[in-house]
Amino acid sequence: MGAKHVTRRIFSSDSRYVIVVLAPIVLLIALFIYYPAVDTFRTSTTNYNLRVRRPPKSVGLNNYVKLLEDDEFWEVTGRSFKVVIITLPLEMLVAFGIAMLLNQRFPGRAIVRTLTFLPWMLPGVVNGFLWGWLLNGEYGALNGFLYQLGLISEYQYWLREPEHLIFWVTVVQTWTRYAFPTIILLAGLQSIPHDLYDAAKVDGANALSGVRFITLPLLLPSFGIALVVEFIAAFQIFDVIWTLTAGGSAGGAMNPFTKTLMLYNYELVFRDLRVGLGAALSYIILLMSLAVGVIFVMRVYNQGVQEA
Amino acid sequence: MNLGLRGQERLRLTVIYILCAVVLIWALAPIYWVAVSSISTRQQLYARPYKIWFPSEPTLESYKTIFTQGAKFRAGGFSPTAHLMSTGLRNSVIISVASAGIVTLMATGAGYAFARMQFAGKNLIFLLIMLMLPLPIWVSLIALFFIMSQLELIDTLLGLILIFVTLLLPLSVWMMTTFVRDIPSEIQDAARVDGADRWRLVYSIILPLARPGMVAVFLVAMLSTWNNFLIPLIFTRTDDSQPLTIVLTLFIGQYEVAWEDMSAAAVVTMLPPFLMALFFQRYLVRGLTMGAVK
Repeated sequence: MGAKHVTRRIFSSDSRYVIVVLAPIVLLIALFIYYPAVDTFRTSTTNYNLRVRRPPKSVGLNNYVKLLEDDEFWEVTGRSFKVVIITLPLEMLVAFGIAMLLNQRFPGRAIVRTLTFLPWMLPGVVNGFLWGWLLNGEYGALNGFLYQLGLISEYQYWLREPEHLIFWVTVVQTWTRYAFPTIILLAGLQSIPHDLYDAAKVDGANALSGVRFITLPLLLPSFGIALVVEFIAAFQIFDVIWTLTAGGSAGGAMNPFTKTLMLYNYELVFRDLRVGLGAALSYIILLMSLAVGVIFVMRVYNQGVQEA
Repeated sequence: MNLGLRGQERLRLTVIYILCAVVLIWALAPIYWVAVSSISTRQQLYARPYKIWFPSEPTLESYKTIFTQGAKFRAGGFSPTAHLMSTGLRNSVIISVASAGIVTLMATGAGYAFARMQFAGKNLIFLLIMLMLPLPIWVSLIALFFIMSQLELIDTLLGLILIFVTLLLPLSVWMMTTFVRDIPSEIQDAARVDGADRWRLVYSIILPLARPGMVAVFLVAMLSTWNNFLIPLIFTRTDDSQPLTIVLTLFIGQYEVAWEDMSAAAVVTMLPPFLMALFFQRYLVRGLTMGAVK
């Protein structure tokens, strides 16, 4: 009886542990994530609108059709992809350059590294504000700096032309995020064995062809990971735009020239109160990010398989 | 040109330091300028076309103003809510410390279960937690808003903390599971033989050994909560629960506030993350690049 009793006691204390530890977690994600996700889908098939006093009615997939036929939706989607397409190369370029630099040995490298990664850890709304102030047309520091260098003869309104806005958004997004790809690439660089370069040198390769034929190919998996993560970050951009150009706190008009998918979703649900339509948009966004995410991951995975 | 070995090294270092200067200007100039703006007098700050890159008489006047009188309007007068900064600071501190503390404890307990125990549904639960990572948050947010209204948790600190804890769970649980897995199991087995139950084991063996992991989880959680903007944007309404990120945007948007005051507000908002990034970067990088770097 002794052994059996002990076994049962341990077993029951084990399951008590698991239940006490995991029940709150399961409860939280069920109540706050998965149930709402399902409920949002249900809402997306209704004409729920808080401005209209009527009980929501099921409209099938009408909201999805409505969005896909709406010019504004395509305009906003195009803008989101534009942000991604400009940001990713810009970020990778900056990150690759800095990673190459930080991969060198020199006194003071640790402190340069620490300072270089700072912007990544600051709040996005602060970053948008910092750059908005820097780029200010009347008193901005960029104007002052360029003027003092003699590069401009009068102050420029950097954030005035609508077609320039997206460019500045990508610059600020790059400034906010470049640390992450830098860290990934740096880790990749440090895993490349030095003998490879030595061998190439013996074969008469110069530094540039070393980068071209050794560094870049071996960094491909690191670039893959960095691109996936940065794609998601750029695609879901929100905070930075809010303070840089959106120019609207509660109730203010949202800048139409920097309205990306996430801002559009916010506007639909919490400003226009077209909840059903907004819910449908959030599911379209889910599908888009899944599709792109899967393509990226497959690419990276295949690459990895080929390398191995 | 034939440089000696030492000359070559000196040239190499010179080039490196020039490049470092460029990188540091890119990384730090915006931060420097907002810090300078916050301690400049308005007259010097608005000087043009020649900017004053460091104020001749640095002043903390803007900080005093935003905490005691509220933000100055550019047209004169003050914003109606004098205490917005101090309530914002209080709310930010409470939300981020509480969320980080709770999620660290929950993740440690769960991390041990996932790393060291066998039980029915283990893989399913782990998968459900981790699936949150790639899920765009909007899908849940819309319905969550109505759930929170029904629970009367809109515009409360408790509501925000619950949401943040939930959102922080996947990364925290993943981190702690990895950390606990890395603790040699011989030590734990020895304790098991001595008859310690799971609680004793976690408390007296895992907690001390997993402390670096817990610190990393706590810091990452605190940083993400402090920096977050979208969640309080949706779930807060008044100074009862608005954190600093929201207060800053209220200054920018609603009130047409003077730049020196907004700069001071921005500095206050970014100071804790800034200091954390300076002093605990190792921990933060480890947590924030989890899974991407081995």
